[in-house]
Amino acid sequence: MNFYQLYRLISKNKKLAMKRHPMFEQNKVAKVMGYIFIAYWAVCLLIAGVAMANGLDEGGREAYDVINGGLIFFLIIDFFGRFGMQETPAQEVKPYRLLPIKTNFLLNTFLVKMGLSEGNLFWFFFFVPFAVITILMKPFFGFFNFFGYLLGIWLVFVANGYWYLLWRTFINQKMVCILIPVAIYAALIYFGIIDGSFLFDSSMVFARGFITGNVWSFVGVLAVIAVLFFVNRIFQDKFIYQEISKQEKVKKVRSREMSFLNRFGQIGEYLKLEIKSVQRNSVVRKQFITGIICMLMLCSLFAFTDAYNEGFMRTFVCCYCFACLGVITLTSVMCVEGNYIDGLMSRRESVLSLLKAKYLFNCAMMIIPVLFIIYPICEGKATVMEMFGCLFFTTGVIFPFLFQLAVYNNTTVHLNNQLTKSGRSTKAQVFVSMLAMFVPMGIMYAFIVLFDKDIAGTILCVIGLAGSLAAPLWLRNIYKRFMNHRYENMAGFRQTR
Amino acid sequence: MKTWQVSVKLDNIKKSFGDKVVLDIPEFTINQGDIMGLVGNNGAGKTTLFRIILDLLQPDKGGQASINEFVTKDCEDWKDFTGAYIDPGFLIDYLTPEEYFAFIAKLNGVDRDELDAHLQKFDHFMGGEVIGQNKLIRNLSAGNQQKVGIIAALLHQPGLLILDEPFNFLDPSSQLAMKRFLEEYNRETGATILVSSHNLSHTLDICSRVTLLEHGRIIKDFDHLGTDNRQPVIDEIQHYFEDNQ
Repeated sequence: MNFYQLYRLISKNKKLAMKRHPMFEQNKVAKVMGYIFIAYWAVCLLIAGVAMANGLDEGGREAYDVINGGLIFFLIIDFFGRFGMQETPAQEVKPYRLLPIKTNFLLNTFLVKMGLSEGNLFWFFFFVPFAVITILMKPFFGFFNFFGYLLGIWLVFVANGYWYLLWRTFINQKMVCILIPVAIYAALIYFGIIDGSFLFDSSMVFARGFITGNVWSFVGVLAVIAVLFFVNRIFQDKFIYQEISKQEKVKKVRSREMSFLNRFGQIGEYLKLEIKSVQRNSVVRKQFITGIICMLMLCSLFAFTDAYNEGFMRTFVCCYCFACLGVITLTSVMCVEGNYIDGLMSRRESVLSLLKAKYLFNCAMMIIPVLFIIYPICEGKATVMEMFGCLFFTTGVIFPFLFQLAVYNNTTVHLNNQLTKSGRSTKAQVFVSMLAMFVPMGIMYAFIVLFDKDIAGTILCVIGLAGSLAAPLWLRNIYKRFMNHRYENMAGFRQTR
Repeated sequence: MKTWQVSVKLDNIKKSFGDKVVLDIPEFTINQGDIMGLVGNNGAGKTTLFRIILDLLQPDKGGQASINEFVTKDCEDWKDFTGAYIDPGFLIDYLTPEEYFAFIAKLNGVDRDELDAHLQKFDHFMGGEVIGQNKLIRNLSAGNQQKVGIIAALLHQPGLLILDEPFNFLDPSSQLAMKRFLEEYNRETGATILVSSHNLSHTLDICSRVTLLEHGRIIKDFDHLGTDNRQPVIDEIQHYFEDNQ
């Protein structure tokens, strides 16, 4: 097999892997959402390219000089953007290892494939319109200057791709390695990025060489690519066996009885499961920590600053101090349980107890915003009724809303996924989380506009309290509807496990 | 120890995936107290049948599985006296085996002493590699995960026990131990036991009834097996597989 044949084979297999990923095969909406996401960023870059070409043209410097001087910023964004998108050859080479192909030949092909990846052209959405306005449309430059600039920029991003690959390989070995590129970038920004500095000037002169056709600029970037290519080859080769024989480190686990939950009977057992799931599953833990950080940020914003004291944003912050954790974690309700849904379904009403436990767990987490909001209440910035209004509105209206997803979610969330394999939301998840974000806020805001804070708080409190007290009823209703959908959901969970 | 009288009735069970019919059983009854072995090649429909009995898969329209008087798709009462282990999808893998057993015990109203006594019975089967390891289930070997699933399925002393390929992944001593306790359990409780296996020898050693399933259809059903009539059945099944290679 020659290089070209292997290159085509790998390209074909990668395309099929993307196309036939169970998450996408089953979910046209996720596919469309993915395309919309890419299109959105492409349009943003396009607009930014045009805006910067026009906006930066007015000073003493040419717009391209300003952008070229700050090229490092693009490279930093590109570097971190590649996490989650690009795997290392050492990771990808596994299925080809038993084929009669030399490892070096295989690695070379993978590395060339990564260099020629269309992902390295994504920044062209920014640089093409930018170069059209600032180079092609200028009287003193022509098409070759325009072409030379784009070629040079592409080579810079190819080099950045190999730079990322190198660090990604180290990070795969030890997570702490991420601190090194972070430190390098922080030092570069701190010491050299300010206008007039050495880094800014040299970056500007270097990239101007692409426009003027300075051969040393091209030789420089090609030399960097060549060095990074070979350094990558050495390290990919070195780590290939470690990657292939990679085993999850087995930690000794300390079992905790959590006997204080025994009083809740069967629901208490599921509460223990909720807590252990957060403690022991990295995906669930990340989701939970994100929710808690959002909650703490919003709470701090509301309690300790005057930033959002009035109007719509005040309502937003106050409401989401309570609701954000639920919005983040409950949109994937039952997706974790997809991993062991057969076990749950072979026991009587276990899903009902599980839902009750999840509801209690999320209600218990409301203690955090309650504690935070005591401070603005003491300061006279918020009223007690407002706090209870937000609290009960969350537990009695927003949570029931989010729990509806238990009926429709049928995609398993892998409990300990790596960085590159994040789950994607289904249509229902996106729809309900958007509704949960904006509908309650709209209702609250309407009440606050129509009545004063206390009356609005009282109304929300009454509605929310009714919803909270009716929790056993609406949870059972959700359970019944879940059971009506059970075959479809179980099939979905099994397929995406 | 509880004693049981549980039978399973299949009525017009058909399952298709697209155009392909993977299961087609017009009528079939598994009698109380049977240890029934389901044998067949890959893709014969064994796991599909178990999933349908356990209401984890919907049969095509018109078909139903009943455990005693309960139609499995219509109610959950049968779950109280049914134990099953099909695959790791039955295990909560972020718990330790001890936590998982305690969890299942609590759900089934089994108290701590009963649980300890139950686990003690399986000491030899676990071979010192399951309990006291401070490992999560997901970090156990496939064989030990299988053991956890089987022990948990038996924890509430079910009247109907369904095990899908229980001998897979197990070392020879564990296979023998399992054969022994399945026979003992059936003898002591009268429980109905359904096992599927590719291992003809183990299946025929413990089963009072062996059903041969191929391409979703029941080809042969050998009832009332005993030591005296076992060999002709082994020969017949072996011939079947040889002829259909």
